[in-house]
Amino acid sequence: MAAVTKTDKMICPSCRVEMNHHCDKIVYNVDAHDAGKTDPSLGGFIEEFHTCPECGGGASRHA
Amino acid sequence: MEASRSLFIPVILGTARMGRMSLHAAHLVTEELGKCAGVETDLIDIAKLPLPTNDAGEAIKQADFSAKMSKADALVVVSPEYNHGYSGLLKHVLDSCLKEYIHKAVGIVGVSAGPFGGTRVIQNLLPVMRELGLVTIFWDVNFSSVQKVFNEDGTLLDESYIRRIDKFLKELIWMAKTLRQGRARISLD
Repeated sequence: MAAVTKTDKMICPSCRVEMNHHCDKIVYNVDAHDAGKTDPSLGGFIEEFHTCPECGGGASRHA
Repeated sequence: MEASRSLFIPVILGTARMGRMSLHAAHLVTEELGKCAGVETDLIDIAKLPLPTNDAGEAIKQADFSAKMSKADALVVVSPEYNHGYSGLLKHVLDSCLKEYIHKAVGIVGVSAGPFGGTRVIQNLLPVMRELGLVTIFWDVNFSSVQKVFNEDGTLLDESYIRRIDKFLKELIWMAKTLRQGRARISLD
């Protein structure tokens, strides 16, 4: 899992550079332990997707 | 540097049926992809993926397939048309990943014994691809009456397919390059 900086950018675990946040996806099929993360206005929670500009590696996290 | 890295575009053969003619189509597309400058490819045969069938989705993610999807800049899916649809196993395999596909290009090759070249299976796959986060291109390859396109040992009998595959791959590679830049450089925020 990539690290998070003070600016909230994900950091590529291989290249140690800031990753680019390029996608949000709403996830509906939440497990019981995810119930607290649900955004009532969306009906699910947002999964963010990030890509490293150096190696192209991807990572994701709950928003 | 990301831009200098070769594109990786694997070909997924979407059927496990014995005697599948789609194998010949998948070999041909893989061979043509391998001729493209700056592109690496690999043929992924879903019949050889050790995925369980007593569960589904990302819970059954297979490490090697996941790694290839993560590395990929684009995908080619070669799918026969079975009763107007795709194979259940293809969907089972595709559903085992998600984040690996996001904002990557996909091109679909339809294969059928009849005259429509898998057009219906391609149409049925489009919404699946969209929900997986893949970006479809507007070129397809349609192998109609596939038993007349290849002989039994897989030799191509109709050379016109080479030009169609070339146009399809050019579009796919353009989209793969564009989306690679987008993923790495263009922020959602």
